[in-house]
Order: sequence, then C-alpha cells, then structure tokens
Amino acid sequence: MRNCLKIVLILFLAGMAFPLTAQDLTATEIIRRADERFNGEKTSISIMSMTIVRPTWERTFSFKNWTSGRDYALTLITAPARDKGQSFLKRKNEMWSWNPTISRLIKLPPSMMSQGWMGSDYTNDDILRESSVVNDYLHEVSGEEEIEGRTCYRIRMVAKEEAAVIWGHQIRWIDKTDFLFMKSELYDEDGYLVRTELGKEIREMDGRLIPTRIELIPAEEEGYLTILNILEIEFNTPINEGFFSQQNMKRVR
Amino acid sequence: MDNVKIAWRNLWRNRRRTMITAASVLFAVFFALLFRSLQLGSYNKMFRDAIESYTGYVQVQQRDFWEEKIVDNTFAYDEDVNREIMADANVVATVPRFESFALASSGPMTKGVLVMGIDPDREAYLSNIPDRLVQYRLSSGALEEIKKDPHLPDKIKELALLHEGYSYTSSSRLQLDLGIGDKEAATWMPSIERYTRFENGFIEMGEPGVWVGDRLSEYLGLNIGDTLVLIGQGYHATTAAGKYPIRGIVKLPLPDLDNKIVYLPLDICQQLYNAPGNLTSLALHIASNEDKVIQATVDRIEPFLPEDQRVLEWREMNELLVSQLEADNYSGMIMIGILYLVIAFGVFGTVLMLTAERRREFGVLVAIGMQKRKLASVMTMEMFFIGLLGILGGSVIAILIILYGVDHPIVFKGEMAKMYEDFGMEAVMAFQGIDFYFIWQMIIVSLMVILSMIYPLRKIFGMKVVNALRA
Repeated sequence: MRNCLKIVLILFLAGMAFPLTAQDLTATEIIRRADERFNGEKTSISIMSMTIVRPTWERTFSFKNWTSGRDYALTLITAPARDKGQSFLKRKNEMWSWNPTISRLIKLPPSMMSQGWMGSDYTNDDILRESSVVNDYLHEVSGEEEIEGRTCYRIRMVAKEEAAVIWGHQIRWIDKTDFLFMKSELYDEDGYLVRTELGKEIREMDGRLIPTRIELIPAEEEGYLTILNILEIEFNTPINEGFFSQQNMKRVR
Repeated sequence: MDNVKIAWRNLWRNRRRTMITAASVLFAVFFALLFRSLQLGSYNKMFRDAIESYTGYVQVQQRDFWEEKIVDNTFAYDEDVNREIMADANVVATVPRFESFALASSGPMTKGVLVMGIDPDREAYLSNIPDRLVQYRLSSGALEEIKKDPHLPDKIKELALLHEGYSYTSSSRLQLDLGIGDKEAATWMPSIERYTRFENGFIEMGEPGVWVGDRLSEYLGLNIGDTLVLIGQGYHATTAAGKYPIRGIVKLPLPDLDNKIVYLPLDICQQLYNAPGNLTSLALHIASNEDKVIQATVDRIEPFLPEDQRVLEWREMNELLVSQLEADNYSGMIMIGILYLVIAFGVFGTVLMLTAERRREFGVLVAIGMQKRKLASVMTMEMFFIGLLGILGGSVIAILIILYGVDHPIVFKGEMAKMYEDFGMEAVMAFQGIDFYFIWQMIIVSLMVILSMIYPLRKIFGMKVVNALRA
C-alpha cells in the first residue's frame, strides 16, 4: 500500500515536472520569454529611423528614443530638418507632443488616439496602450513553421474576455531557439486580419539578439507599409524618472 | 370673313364689357409673368452668388481631390499650363487656392478650422474678401466713447449697448442696428463711425499673416496683432505647424463658415503644409456662363491638363445647392399653380358674366334666323380678340417692368434686409430677363381663355330660344 502511494506520488510529480523541460514549453511560457526579450530590460536608449511607404510616395525620418520600463518614453525627432526638434512624451496612459515651430506643448486628446503617429501606420494608441501579450491573452501552440530560415512556434493567442485589448486574436510566430517575434498577425474582434508585423534582420545589439527591422503591413490598404529600423540600441543605462518630464521635452538633444 | 367683321363690331358695341374681360386676361398674363420672373430671377441670383463668390463655374483639381479632400491629393501648379488655360477665349482669370483643415489654438482654446490659402490679388476675381473685412465694431472701447458723447440721444446709446461686440462690414447695417433713420444719419453717423471704426490690415503673398472669421476670432479671444497657432497634417504625412499674426478680421455671411475660416497667403499656406507650389484647386473666372459655352470651355481645357488633373463643373461641385434649388423650384411651381387657379377663375368669372348679360341678345339672334353654329363662331372670334388683346397688353406691361427690373432689382431695407443677410443672402429680389418662360406663361393663359370659352359655347348650343327671349 505504501509503495503504491509512493508510485502515485512519483508519477504525479513527474507529470507536473514534464511541461517544464526545455523541449516542450507551454505556449504561455514561450510568449513570456519572447516578450521579456523585448520589454524585459529596465531602460533603453535607441536611435531609429522610420520609413512610411505609400503607393505614390515614401518618407523617412529619424528619431532618438528613451524608455524606462513600460510606463515612460521620450522620443525626439532628429531628421529631416523640417520636423527636427519635435518631441513626444509618454507617461503611463498619457501622451504629449512638443512642437518647437509653434512653441506649443499639446496633450494628445482621445480623439487623436487612433491616428497614425507621425503619419505612419503605428497609431498613437499602439504606442501608448501596449497591452500585455502575456497576461491579456490565452495562448495555444498551433504548430511549427519556418520563417526566414528559422523554425518557429506558431502560437494562437485569444484575448481574455475581461482584457481591455483591441485585438480579437493574434497569431505569432516565435523563433524556437532565440525566442524572437518573427511574425505576428493581428485580427480584430470579427476575425478579420488588420495588420501583419514582420521581424527581420536579426542582429546582436548591446549583447542581445533582436530583429533590427520591423515591418508593419496594414491588411486593408494596398501598398501601405511602415518600416522601423533600429540603428543603435543600448540597454540598462540608468535613466532618472525625472528625465521623462515636460520640461525635458523642450531641452532634450 | 363676315364672322370676323361681326365679332369685331360686337366687341366695340359694348366697349366697357370688352375692356373688363380683356383686363382680366391682361392681369392674368401680367401676374404670371412677373411672378415667374421674380422666382426664376431669385434662384438664378442665389445660384450665381453661391457659385461666383466661391467655387466658380469651372475648376481644375487633382483627380482624386474631390473624393478625398486631403493635402496629398494636390497638384503642382504649372505656369505653362496656366498660360494655356488663360489663352482660352472664355477664361478671364485663374484663381489658385490651397484649402485644408487644421487645429487653431490660442491660449487654452482650440478649434478645428478651415484654412484657405489664397492669392489676394487673383482671388478678387471670385470672392472679394476685402469687402468682407470688418469696418465697424461696437467694442467696449467704442461703447465707452459713445456713452461719453453728450450729443448722442439715449436711445442710440441703449441700442449700442444692446449690440455690444457686434461687427459690421458696412455702415448701413450699423445704422440699422442703432435704429437711426436715413434722415438722422447725417447728424449721428459720422461720430459713431469714428468711434467704432475698425482698422484691418491686408495679407500679402510672402508675408506671414492671416485673416480670420469674426465668430472664430471671438471664440478664440483673438484680435488684430495677436498670434494664431495652426497645427495639422501636411503633405506626405509631415507635421504642419505655424504661428501667424492676425492682420484682419472678416465677417462672412454664412455663420457656419464665419465660425471656422482662416485665410492665409497662398505661398505661406503651401509652406505650412509642406507642399510648395501645390494647389488643391485652380478656379476659373469665365466670361460666359451659359451651359453650352461652359461645356465647350471644359472640352477645350481638358486636353492641356497633365494626367493627374481634371476639370470640374459647377453642377458637380454644388450638388447640394442644385438639389436644394430644384426642391425650392417645385414649391415655387405649386405657388404659381395656385396663382393660375386664382386668375383662371377671374377670367372664367368675367366670361360667365358676359354670357349671362348677352343671353337675351343670343336668343333674339337665333329667333330671327341666325344659325347657332354661326353664332358660336362669332363668339369664338370675340373671345380670340379679347384674349389676344389681354395677352399682348399684359406682356407689354410686364416686359416694360421686367426690363427695368433686370437693371434695378428690388432692394430690401430695414428688418427685411437683416433677415436676408442672416440667411447669408443679399437683400435683393432680382428679375429674370425675357426668356423661354414667357412663351410658357402665354400658352398657359391662352389655355385658360380657351377653357373658359367652353361655357358660352355650351350655352349657345343648349339654348332654348323661348327661355332666352324672356331672360
């Protein structure tokens, strides 16, 4: 009888331990690891460029970006000359913009949330209200696929009922060895594809492997594309919270 | 031929009766013509005012601009193409414009505004904006002066206080609001005009500065010399932001527009939206506005234009106005229908009287051997002459009045004028010149005469001679 109990206990424990092995992670765990790769660090200072592609024209601008955790971010446009000096500040759920030509600090009203940031396909809402891919969704591995020569988990994430997210469900492809978001498809509540995001040009930057080129393709509009290039990035340089202030928006270089 | 002679003599046998009948037809024609002339004239005027003061009859635009009015759907202004357009016989001038939306702010106030980049000199061909500049304003300073003036009667002071903050583009309207009659105007107006005078500056190409709507300036709490901040989205998703000194305040008749209009010099506007040299539209001021001539002009211009541009006609640009006026025209037709009914009974009434009066006469004629058919044909002739007389007389009088009225439209004064102005219209009732509608009115009145003729003819054919003789 005692032996019997022991065997049951061992089997039970083994059963618990089984999903924790590296070969077979749960879907949630995969997403958590991938998410940490992107958002796990305390702070970041980066130089990026964004290219907006439209059927008849395209435009590129560069900016410098400081972030601290999820809550604070400061962005300064550095080129072209016309837009230089404009800055954006994110503090928790609020966003301000500073425009030196008119010396005006503007708090972005709710009505402007769905508009593209600097005319791109990224909406102000995307930047402001990034929900947690880990906590707000139910995850499920739905296969394996190869993307750009890397074997990826194909993970289907359905928004939890109580979560305040704008997507109905997402499908994400995550690299099996390095846990990088290689591709994401975002669907609305009615199940229509709204946009596709692609992670490209995987490179090591400041000791981390990250996609340095992110392409955002809106599904509805043909010929529309926004490309975000990460030119330089530095992690975990201490930044004081006071750095993310309205005063600093006007000063920062 | 005998019948005609008898009819003619019959007419002048009882001159008064003939004149009364002819007069009823005359008034019918006269009123129908005058009414229709005023109706059509007013529509025409409203139309011209709306079109000529804003869109113009013909515009060149980028192909997609009309569907999607965004800054990206603009076209590059080409001097060579413009020269070719100007070379067209029917084109008097071209008016370049750059229209877009922006947020205007001043202090804590922000409002969405319509930004219009104009070339002030060329714009004068269509909408003469300097005419709309505020000339007089009952500002608190002006009221102070009015109050201090010992000569001004208290009634004027009270009315001035009541209209505090009002702006005027003409002294006549100011005079009206202050309850000053034309006779007293010479006494009081000069000093009032001096107190309330409002000095505007002009905007010029290459010179940053704006004209803003009166109501907008009030909402934003801005006055001349203050700075207006504009922010919006520019060409190819750039940021459009700029600050400009206010040079003048315009008062547009349409409150909707007055609430949100900001005029900028064209090149400054293009810089703001990061689209130097681009236009949202090139409006054409043309010599003849007849439909056929406009169509021909469009057909001639279209081939010059680069692929990305197209020509729009006023009908396409003013769909709302066209359908509004059409609806209004129908209600006008109902009105004129009622008028027809009234005058038809007027004509019929006189014919009825005429028949009753001559019943005995008809009876005697038939009794002494005149055929009823012959009598009927004489009667028809008589009515024909009366109708002709009435229609000719009526149209001659109407034509004289209309010919005079075309050059001298009815101008409303006083309260009536105020009402018109508040609707954004000129306080004027215009006449329509002599046109096809004349023939229609004459045909309709002739039909009335013919219809009312049925009655005497029936009477003649159905006449019992014995009864008629006793009448």
